[in-house]
Amino acid sequence: MALTTAPDPTRRGTGSVRPDANRRGTGRIRHGEGLAGYVFLSPWLIGLMGITAIPMLLSLYLSFTNYDILTPFSEVEWVGLANYERMFTSDPSWWHSVRVTLSFALIAVPLKLAAALGVALLLNRAWRGVGLFRGLFYLPSLLGGSVALAIVWVNMFNRDGAFNSFLALFGIQGKPWVNDPDWALETLMVLAIWQFGAPMVIFLAGLKQVPTELYEAAAVDGAGKFRQFVNVTLPMLSPVIFFNLVLETINGFQGFTAAFVLSNGTGGPVDSTLMYTLNLYITGFTDLEMGYASAMAWVFLIAIAIITVVFFSTGRFWVHYSDGEDR
Amino acid sequence: MVAGTVAPPVATRPQRPRSRSWLRLIVLLAIVAVVLYPLFWMIGTSVKSQEEIVNNIGLLPRNFTPGNYTDGWTNFDVSFARFFLNSAMVSLLTVVGNAVSCLLAAYAFARLKFRLRGLWFAVMIGTLLLPGHVLIVPQYILFRTLGLVGGEWPYLPLLIPQFLATEAFFVFLMVQFMRGIPRELDEAARIDGANAFGIFRHVILPLSRPALVTTAIFSFIWTWNDFFRQLVFLSDLSDYTVPVALTLFIDSTSQSAVGPMFAMAVLSLLPVFGFFVAFQRMLVEGINTSGLKG
Amino acid sequence: MHPATHPTASAPDGRTYRTPLLRRRLLRGLLAAVVALPLVGAAAACGDDAASDGKTKISIFWWGGEARAQLTEQALDLYTQENPDVVFEKTWQANQGYFDKLATLTAGGSPPDIFQIDDNYLTEYAARNTTLDLTPYQQSGDLDTSKFPESLWQYGVVDGKLAGLAAGENTQGLVYNKTLVTKNGLPEPTTGMSWEEHIAWAEQVSKKTGVPGTMDASAVDKAFWVWLRQQGKDLYSGNDLGFTVEDVTRWFELWKDARERGATPTPDVIHEGNATDITKQLVVTGKAATSWVWVNQMPELKKNTSDELGVIAYPGDPSGQWARAAMYWSVFRGSKNADIAVDVINFLANDPDAVKLLGTDRGLPSNLDLRRVVSDDTTDEAMKQSIAVETELAESFGESPQVPIKGHSKVRAELTKAAENAQYGRATPAEAAAQFVEACKAAIAS
Repeated sequence: MALTTAPDPTRRGTGSVRPDANRRGTGRIRHGEGLAGYVFLSPWLIGLMGITAIPMLLSLYLSFTNYDILTPFSEVEWVGLANYERMFTSDPSWWHSVRVTLSFALIAVPLKLAAALGVALLLNRAWRGVGLFRGLFYLPSLLGGSVALAIVWVNMFNRDGAFNSFLALFGIQGKPWVNDPDWALETLMVLAIWQFGAPMVIFLAGLKQVPTELYEAAAVDGAGKFRQFVNVTLPMLSPVIFFNLVLETINGFQGFTAAFVLSNGTGGPVDSTLMYTLNLYITGFTDLEMGYASAMAWVFLIAIAIITVVFFSTGRFWVHYSDGEDR
Repeated sequence: MVAGTVAPPVATRPQRPRSRSWLRLIVLLAIVAVVLYPLFWMIGTSVKSQEEIVNNIGLLPRNFTPGNYTDGWTNFDVSFARFFLNSAMVSLLTVVGNAVSCLLAAYAFARLKFRLRGLWFAVMIGTLLLPGHVLIVPQYILFRTLGLVGGEWPYLPLLIPQFLATEAFFVFLMVQFMRGIPRELDEAARIDGANAFGIFRHVILPLSRPALVTTAIFSFIWTWNDFFRQLVFLSDLSDYTVPVALTLFIDSTSQSAVGPMFAMAVLSLLPVFGFFVAFQRMLVEGINTSGLKG
Repeated sequence: MHPATHPTASAPDGRTYRTPLLRRRLLRGLLAAVVALPLVGAAAACGDDAASDGKTKISIFWWGGEARAQLTEQALDLYTQENPDVVFEKTWQANQGYFDKLATLTAGGSPPDIFQIDDNYLTEYAARNTTLDLTPYQQSGDLDTSKFPESLWQYGVVDGKLAGLAAGENTQGLVYNKTLVTKNGLPEPTTGMSWEEHIAWAEQVSKKTGVPGTMDASAVDKAFWVWLRQQGKDLYSGNDLGFTVEDVTRWFELWKDARERGATPTPDVIHEGNATDITKQLVVTGKAATSWVWVNQMPELKKNTSDELGVIAYPGDPSGQWARAAMYWSVFRGSKNADIAVDVINFLANDPDAVKLLGTDRGLPSNLDLRRVVSDDTTDEAMKQSIAVETELAESFGESPQVPIKGHSKVRAELTKAAENAQYGRATPAEAAAQFVEACKAAIAS
């Protein structure tokens, strides 16, 4: 990953905002800047070394053991690659959870991003009451994964729930969506999309950062609303779109809360909502196979890292940075 | 601060007359109605009796039971007000910690050149990728070894990481935003004699407001809703936060107070909603970069 | 850290970021915070585990609702009254996340001195030497089980060690909607009906009332267990399963037949009822006339419905049921104050005032003498009813089985999955049974 994220001094920026003069010095570390860099980075570095790295490395170690949480570290047994072998060769529910997660992420993530961007565009301009609307659209996300949410959602999408009452207006006979193994995952997707508040806010904030003079300039050039959107908004928003895409993809794959809450922590009915991380949680905490769960987590990390690397390497073709660097 | 200096941006901005604004309003209202229906249902349920919650899944209660609110508020030995205060404190401190520490790290990543920057950036993104559930136990052991668990002030294990920029999400978010800030501003400041710190203070910090506001909103809301870590690290009823306290209402094997739980869940939305509405106002239009160049 | 709190604390109006003064303050606050953090950490480390004025601190952890918390705290206060040198560090929460937290605390080397546990996890903890063997205390009389039903305390023995003390007794109970049944002129079900008779009765209820007569029990592990015992089998035998694929097939077929006859609700409704939550039991949500629960859950079930409820034993020979420890108190093996901790759980089980206080919240009192007293004293009708039913059933109880082995919670989850596969028609009973047994073997092997 280091390769794709490292700034590449040989590449020239494509930014239109930036005069070429400021390329000065980007190739070499400016005197004193290296030190300043580490000064600014120090809280994060301390956090990484002191807090983040140790548990991560521990979990990597545990993934080669039969750790069960209750046994002290000193007594865990090294099992080599057994956990990884088991995952790939003899654990059908692991494969099943991979499939569930893939279909969830592939459908829910794009739809959620589209909803978030659409509503953000609607709510971008300042007008009386826009703040209230932003808040109202954010409300579903405020519910997080509370117990109340579980009860609410089940009652919306049950056989006699509100959604079916709505369908009945059109003479459509609904299904017991949440309790139907063929539809439970779709219900989960709707829940994930419904909570589109977070990417929406990020889009809104990104839209605020687009310099107004660019629109003015575009308007002077005679560009209409649509051309302004394509030529100004989209490129200027692309770092934020990129961010949302990367993070929502990670989130989508990690999607734990909704599945946990809706299925009462079981992944049911009949494993139809057994998301990867839910399976991992059940394995680690309910079945007390934390060593195996850690192995699952590291396989997950590698898979997502690959996807992220792909994103980063395609990003240089469509993400426009005003700072003139391409990553 | 005088009210005149802080006239809300919404009011001062001239309302552009738009022929289709009524259409937009209708579209928005329709979406809002659909999106918020589950929340209306939640409010309706918060004034149902226990028996009705189980048996009447309609929007409105047959018997209006506002007592759920008072029952819920006083349900435990410790008043719910205490849980709200605890949550507010943890959330606000988290906001501060994240905003400050992540901003610093992001500035380094986005603007400064230093050895191994690419590697550290990759590591930072990497920390986002590991599912959190396998980290809870090692983290707990680590904090316990450091003597941070079960001290006089039990929130340390929840807060210290936030002051050390461990939420890579926010670092990455701010990096992306900062990279949208034209670099000629840095150069201009540099010509005026500013060093890396000066640029941070006079260019990056003022222009990072959208990112800071976003970070503040998310830090607050996510901490307000976080359950698992707070559950693990807090052990005394009077230290509990709102999400932990909400689960106390429902012990599915024995006693369930669903009505009071819904009532408190509705109430617990208010502070976050308020925080959001207040803070989103700071997402103001038009960073006018030209004004800063001089 | 205080300086750093200021800017955000005053930020919501959106002003602060505009003034350079505050920016400077923000920076200064941040620096202060970074410098101060390690110090704060060190300070907190010193406060850890401090003994307060010579008193012994016993930490105790349980799951339950607010009512249980009240009663338990009062009972512990009683103990402190009698033993002023002992104070308690009480932690309670609902069952969601309880075992996650207990496991995490154990991993950190600091589980509570006393913790509540159930038969899903007792073996898991006992087999890893987390629980103290209470046998020596039992032999010395410091832990008095002489008034307990023999089979009840034995249901806490794992590998020859007493790993947990039964905090209360319960047993399986079939709850039915009395109002619905009698209103429609149908006979009430009785203890001793065979499974076939029960299903036939349920079919009749469905036809007459339109409410499905019985919850489908095929995914209910406690019903499966009773049924197995009635067939001369068991859930576990030693470290192995106590049943075969054929047994499971017959069990699943029994319920497939019931579903086809319309005695049960549709699979999606059964799925709802498969959650063990009291508020989701079909007998209270009105989606079936019966539910498979524990007898001592009656009082709470009643709070969720306006209909009158009755409770009997599960179908078949009631000797398939046993005096089950509803939950246990266990003592952490590494507890520095193990003797006192044992004395506390002895107090909770055998002190007349404490037991009277606790009532039937954790099941019927384990101490039979005191159970009688509680039964005579209680004014709660539902509690009286559940005590009466269980006391009556106790006469026909069979021997208690061995405590479920490691992997039990996975076995339960697999039963639900397999049974639901059959319910939704995604597998035949034989296929589902084979899948279940295979999964169980993997679960208990690891």
